Amino acid sequence: MEFSEHIRTANVENVVLRQPFHPSTKGTLCITGHHLIFSDRESQSCRQVLLLLRNIDAIEKSVENLLGNSGLLCSARWKERAPGPSSGTLTIKCKDLCVFQLDIPGMEQCLNIAHSIEALSSMDEVADMYPFFHRPHDASLQDQWGLSSPQHQYHQMEALQRGRWRLSSVNGDHTVCPSYPPTVLVPRAISDKALLKAARFRQAGRFPVLCYHHRKNGKVIMRSSQPLTGANRKRCQEDELLLQAVIDGSDKGYIIDTRSSQQAQQARMTAGGGFESKSSYPGWTRLHRQMEKGKALQESLIKVVEACGDQTNNMDRWLSKLENSKWLYHVQTALSTAGLLAECVERDGHSVLVHGSEGTDCTLLISTLAQLIMDPACRTLEGFLTLLEREWVQGGHPFQQRCARSAHSHARLQQEAPVFLLLLDCAWQLWYQFPLALGFSENLLLRLATEAYASDYGTFLCNSDRERCAIGVKEKTHCLFQALLKPEERGLYSNPLYESTELAIWPSVHPQSLQLWRGFFLRWSQQGRHLEEAHDEMRNMICQWGRLAVR
Amino acid sequence: MDLLADVALLPGEERVTDKELIYICPFSGALKGKVFITNYRLFFKSTEAVALTLDVPLGVISRVEKMGGASSRGENSYGLDITCKDMRSLRFALKQEGHSRRDIFEILSKYAFPLSHSQPLFSYLSQEKYEENGWSIYKPLEEFRRQGLPNERWRITFINKNYELCDTYPTILAVPYRASEEDLRRVAAFRSRGRIPVLSWIQRDNQAAIARCSQPLVGMSGKRNKDDERYLELLRETNGTPKLTIFDARPSVNAVANKATGGGYEGDEYQNAELIFLDIHNIHVMRESLKKLRDIVYPTVEESHWLSSLESTHWLEHIKLVLAGAIRVADKVSGGKSVVLHCSDGWDRTAQLSSLAMLMLDSHYRTLRGFEVLIEKEWLSFGHKFASRIGHGDKNHADQDRSPIFVQFIDCVWQMTKQFPTAFEFNERLLATVLEHLYSCRFGTFLFNCESMRELNEVRSKTVSLWSYVHSSSTRYLNPFYTPESGRVLYPVASMRHLELWVSYYIRWNPRIRQQDLWL
Repeated sequence: MEFSEHIRTANVENVVLRQPFHPSTKGTLCITGHHLIFSDRESQSCRQVLLLLRNIDAIEKSVENLLGNSGLLCSARWKERAPGPSSGTLTIKCKDLCVFQLDIPGMEQCLNIAHSIEALSSMDEVADMYPFFHRPHDASLQDQWGLSSPQHQYHQMEALQRGRWRLSSVNGDHTVCPSYPPTVLVPRAISDKALLKAARFRQAGRFPVLCYHHRKNGKVIMRSSQPLTGANRKRCQEDELLLQAVIDGSDKGYIIDTRSSQQAQQARMTAGGGFESKSSYPGWTRLHRQMEKGKALQESLIKVVEACGDQTNNMDRWLSKLENSKWLYHVQTALSTAGLLAECVERDGHSVLVHGSEGTDCTLLISTLAQLIMDPACRTLEGFLTLLEREWVQGGHPFQQRCARSAHSHARLQQEAPVFLLLLDCAWQLWYQFPLALGFSENLLLRLATEAYASDYGTFLCNSDRERCAIGVKEKTHCLFQALLKPEERGLYSNPLYESTELAIWPSVHPQSLQLWRGFFLRWSQQGRHLEEAHDEMRNMICQWGRLAVR
Repeated sequence: MDLLADVALLPGEERVTDKELIYICPFSGALKGKVFITNYRLFFKSTEAVALTLDVPLGVISRVEKMGGASSRGENSYGLDITCKDMRSLRFALKQEGHSRRDIFEILSKYAFPLSHSQPLFSYLSQEKYEENGWSIYKPLEEFRRQGLPNERWRITFINKNYELCDTYPTILAVPYRASEEDLRRVAAFRSRGRIPVLSWIQRDNQAAIARCSQPLVGMSGKRNKDDERYLELLRETNGTPKLTIFDARPSVNAVANKATGGGYEGDEYQNAELIFLDIHNIHVMRESLKKLRDIVYPTVEESHWLSSLESTHWLEHIKLVLAGAIRVADKVSGGKSVVLHCSDGWDRTAQLSSLAMLMLDSHYRTLRGFEVLIEKEWLSFGHKFASRIGHGDKNHADQDRSPIFVQFIDCVWQMTKQFPTAFEFNERLLATVLEHLYSCRFGTFLFNCESMRELNEVRSKTVSLWSYVHSSSTRYLNPFYTPESGRVLYPVASMRHLELWVSYYIRWNPRIRQQDLWL
């Protein structure tokens, strides 16, 4: 596909950029295949904007004719207009929640620009996306892609628990489970043949695999999708044996199902899904914890963003609106379910299997959070990125579907859901409650929240490992996680106050302990800027003290 | 076993009694233990496996009640309920025999409410000694000199040296140079309780001033007073502000209603002046709001609809209005315009507005010492009625004069420190400590309603200042991230989105809500 087909007007002079809390500036606007570029060479401040078109969630046009009648979207605050016979205003709303306006002289040019942005920002051909064109001068495509591998995890674990687990390549060509990586960790006692059968008994082939191994008590977290028991209460001996092998026959294990028991029943009766019955899985106890996902979560995000952006009446009912969005309720549910999982493993010393239905959303959310709560190794900058890579990228979270659109989009909802964003919010709550215990900074979480939706890097492309392999993501794009760990970036993304603790960090999930993640949701407000400056200042101070202390 | 060994008694503190009883802890259930009462505190230590101690200055107690009767049935249904001023309440159960609670009830009442029993407050008994004398932190003349006063436009007057002009004002006042002593007397007759407009703060470069006062005595008939009008004109002329802005902190409805009791507001007869109402509610509204907040956080936190419950207390909304008002004041002044602030009497909302605006405008007040000076000056010397608002040593818990106006001010300061984490030299602990001793009666700082009363009761010579204590370990109260920058006006965002509940203060008694403390 040629990008130029979509670009009728590539350059416009005398465009005015307006953004709340910034002075308006006049400059040149340029649309390329992947970027919106604005530069203002006249003024001394020399503002440059380089925005990935992919980051644009919604664009609203308001064209003004000679008489000066403005269109629909003229908000009271931005009344003054660019001079000239006709002009149009585009309101650009980004997936990172930034909103700005462009006043473009000439109605036709304005419509051309809008058209280009609409077409280019919603391209769905992965191979045409910017990561395949991004070639930073300081990196080579031959550099290592990714931070970890199942092999690496296996070797770490094997040292501790010889013989109970093995690496299986049953999914070597991604045919058994498209959303799993080629190698997975499974109980040694279970053969590949048995795995094949268990995979057929689980939705989308996501048979139970190991995702976390507790270093002290040897207990594990497994994850999977729901079993396909269906209305006839089908069983699968291999699946039962697999789980039996996890708890080694002796003690008991817990299954945390991220659906309510009614939902699980319903899935069994009507959709061919199901749950592990007590009789078929005698060693296991099921705990149902209903977690919202999909549409409900996306709508919650839309509401919270709407409430945050509502500039008109600021007194009224903000807290009710925040409550009604239910966003913090989802944060609370995620943290408390993760807390439950961590309690089972860390305090009670039992192994746990986690799943909902597909096992690619809430399952990953709580397994990740539980590891962050329990394991100091996951709380360093590298550890956290490795965790995200293992659980979310290799673990098969469908990023492309979930992050296609964000809160501003007018497009009809499809598979979008801000599950990853919810994870980052929960991680931020941990960070806020334990300012010393996490090795990464809020900047990292903010960066990830942006990158998941629009990125120069290939890390969050596609929906599964199979898709990524098919189009050569690892060969043709650069890895975000590697880039974040470069020495020059590290300072920004690590927490200067970090002091490693071996203890689990149990979050308080009381509503009054949970805060709106202002750094993200109110990032583009005036206050967001003050605070960002202040935090930079504090970071510099701490770094300086660190240097003094070393001397 | 002498459990009192756990408490280091203060010099001057004396043990009064002790008793075995049961503390009904809202978080860990009934705990057997021993309570000690001194002339300063109630100390409880559990003798059970759950190690728990309570260390409660008697000054925080607002009410002691008997719970249950000799014939009450049920476990732990007989004892004492103690309501505190600092958001918590305590319940102790005793054995139901031989009037076991009579003594302790009487002792508690006597020592918690000494003024109602013609006894001195503990601060008069304390023998604490500190290296630095906190009473000399604030020297009015020095503070005026720091602001560049007196000058050719403002003069210092000692007209109130015997508190004859106004008994709730300080002795040293700064007034427009061209206003004579006789003018001041005439203006005093037209301002509620003689609280005439005087200078609180002046901006050096443009001479824009913040003046504070009480409402004019307009009354139902709409009285005018030429002297008052001329005085405000003189005030305006000090820096040639084209229009003097008068901020009336009240909602306009309340200002109108005040006419019925002889008060009111400045009308059109004040030429070259504009009047702006700031819609801040009165002490009764604030008291009820904090009471509602207390109801949703103690002993158990309302969880199911936390945010809407919090909203229905309106506490944050009041905080927002106070901050928003102060921002408008600061904005005018930094723009070179002089302003006059008042509410009804000019000692509650006016103090909040002037001190917060000064905190925004003048970085000196953001230092530890500067902040102490700010409290001494705008709150203590200008007669915020601490005794009436807090009710030190007074058993009358339902007094309509009680109100958490100062707590609300400290909350506003906390909101500012959250929004500007590097702009304040002091930390959250200082704010919490100030509030702790607002009630404790360990120091003389917050006693009595005004300077004249403090003088009469020889507070300076007979009690210790809170600031002496603070300075004895001032590093505990310092913000390591403080970056001094003079000249910058801090405008906090007074939008509900950017305000949060001060959880670590209001919900500090709940052991489940603790955050990792950065300063430990």
